[in-house]
Amino acid sequence: MSVSSNAYGAGIMAKTGKAFADEYFAEENQVVHESNEVVLVLKKSDEINIVVDEILLGDRKADNPTLVVEDRAGYWWLKATGKIEVDCEEVSELLGRHFSVYDFLVDVSSTIGRAFTLGEKFTITSELMGLDRQLEDLKS
Amino acid sequence: MAISAATKAATDALAVNRAPTSVNAQEVHRWLQSFTWDFDKNRTKYPTKYKMANETKEQFKLIAKEYARMESVKDERQFGSLQDVLTRLDAGNRVHPKWGETMKVASNFLEVGEYNAIAATGMLWDSASAPEQKNGYLAQVLDEIRHTNQCGYVNYYFSKHFHDPAGHNDARRTRTIGPLWKGMKRVFSDGFISGDAVECSVNLQLVGEACFTNPLIVAITEWAAANGDEITPTVFLSIETDELRHMANGYQTVVSIANDAAASKYLNTDLNNAFWTQQKYFTPVLGMLFEYGSKFKVEPWVKTWNRWVYEDWGGIWIGRLGKYGVESPRSLRDAKKDAYWAHHDLFLLAYALWPTGFFRLTLPTAEEADWFEANYPGWYDQYGKIYDEWRARGCEDPNSGFIPLMWFIENNHPIYIDRVSQVPFCPSLCKGASTLRVHEYNGKKHSFSDEWGERMWLSEPERYECQNMFEQYAGRELSEVIAEQHGVRSDGKTLIAQPHTNKNGKLWTLDDIKKLNCVFKDPLDAL
Repeated sequence: MSVSSNAYGAGIMAKTGKAFADEYFAEENQVVHESNEVVLVLKKSDEINIVVDEILLGDRKADNPTLVVEDRAGYWWLKATGKIEVDCEEVSELLGRHFSVYDFLVDVSSTIGRAFTLGEKFTITSELMGLDRQLEDLKS
Repeated sequence: MAISAATKAATDALAVNRAPTSVNAQEVHRWLQSFTWDFDKNRTKYPTKYKMANETKEQFKLIAKEYARMESVKDERQFGSLQDVLTRLDAGNRVHPKWGETMKVASNFLEVGEYNAIAATGMLWDSASAPEQKNGYLAQVLDEIRHTNQCGYVNYYFSKHFHDPAGHNDARRTRTIGPLWKGMKRVFSDGFISGDAVECSVNLQLVGEACFTNPLIVAITEWAAANGDEITPTVFLSIETDELRHMANGYQTVVSIANDAAASKYLNTDLNNAFWTQQKYFTPVLGMLFEYGSKFKVEPWVKTWNRWVYEDWGGIWIGRLGKYGVESPRSLRDAKKDAYWAHHDLFLLAYALWPTGFFRLTLPTAEEADWFEANYPGWYDQYGKIYDEWRARGCEDPNSGFIPLMWFIENNHPIYIDRVSQVPFCPSLCKGASTLRVHEYNGKKHSFSDEWGERMWLSEPERYECQNMFEQYAGRELSEVIAEQHGVRSDGKTLIAQPHTNKNGKLWTLDDIKKLNCVFKDPLDAL
């Protein structure tokens, strides 16, 4: 199991039985705590496996050292601090064919955070888009 | 050949500025949004008390062509694998019998939520004034139609391929007998389409979709895969690919009202009510379906809930909005208690009322009892020993003449139905956040299990007039009600619901139930 604080079983999730219950019911855990993490659920497919293996855990791994990827049967579960970005022009180069951001969205199963597209780039961010920062339109 | 001056001018111009051979979808989106419509006189059937801003953006910048292409690819992949690979592998018959029963409930009930979400997002389209926000809602209307079809297809698939299709094949006419149905309608119907449009968005998109679809449609696929079900991950993960756009719509609804000072008067109350409404049903029902409806366990439900509801939805979605005045739901403490215990409370009642279901339930095995005790210390003393007693009295065997509902009557543990959530509860046995409260209104008694629902009812009692099963069937004998509500198989006498999932076990019939002489009685009459 990953020791990263972003891992599926990190923190309280690593505890069991009474130890879990004690922390779960602790007074400080009776209100939600602001979090700067984001979560992305990607359905397994040929293209998505390449995005995960070759880009997020490959060429772009150094860009996002907080990223954790876990295998949850039918999907990949990803969690990172701040944001996760996928540039579909890079995916196109790897696949050797056009792969648009809307092709990518076919297999994006869930997001926790603010997800948006700009051009061929998909972003999930902890920023409050539209409140802290305006959503941009594609420039002509 | 000579060409005209005009043709030459056009040819020269094109040589310098080549005509575009393709246009980026998001350029088209930007162009479309430059059209302006006058929404000052926007006609809405259900106006909202919130003031929705006009400049709201759409996060995915969708146009119809890309939307249609994207969704057709999703459907090709999903139906392609279901009709080809999975059928050849006999996947429907490889599902563990316990989990196949769980999907009778999950897919049927989700279908209703999707159906009501069509109307909900239509209503939001009507209320919003920003063109981009309307565009997002419009795409969601189409998504919800797709999801309704997908859920219907899951039942159709299981009807053809699962070893016991009863319940999958005719749930629409049999699902109304039992107590789970009305609670589902409360969250998946009333909460989405009744009242203020923005409050409905908070119920549907900000809480229902951003919070509870993650366990209901994502986490469920892990349980399905662990229990041999390849169908549910294939369909549900595809459904969820649209849900992120719905979550974005819910977020943009909040963005559209965030700068209106008056919104803060309502938003936290509406958010707290929506959270309690959704959690009151989903927390116990999903926990029960996962843990009691599976052979192979993934993780304790309370951990799934803690991850997706408390840490992720609470911390990432709601926690980040704190500086805009959005507060952690005040009902969270009670919700956390429910996440630990309420699904165990509900299974106790669901098993006691098994003849009113349209699916089969089974008691935890000794191995499962050990798992429950290890993950929920105190489980055996509260629940396990009751199941041992029921098993010893032959609760699975039609010849025993015993259904666990009789045990509740013998031991003076009355079962009530919460008027607001429609969820049954037994105040003398429950460990979740339930205590009995009773009010009288217009000559009728109403029971409540918590202060949150009680508050909602006190402010708008006319909104919660749904009859519960004890009122509806008062004085009626159980087998009569089951027959009337089509709770039998094609032989006209064997019940669809059964208290075991043993393929070779003896099945209960209407005659077995009739011998018990079990007559519905409203427990509120005794108060």
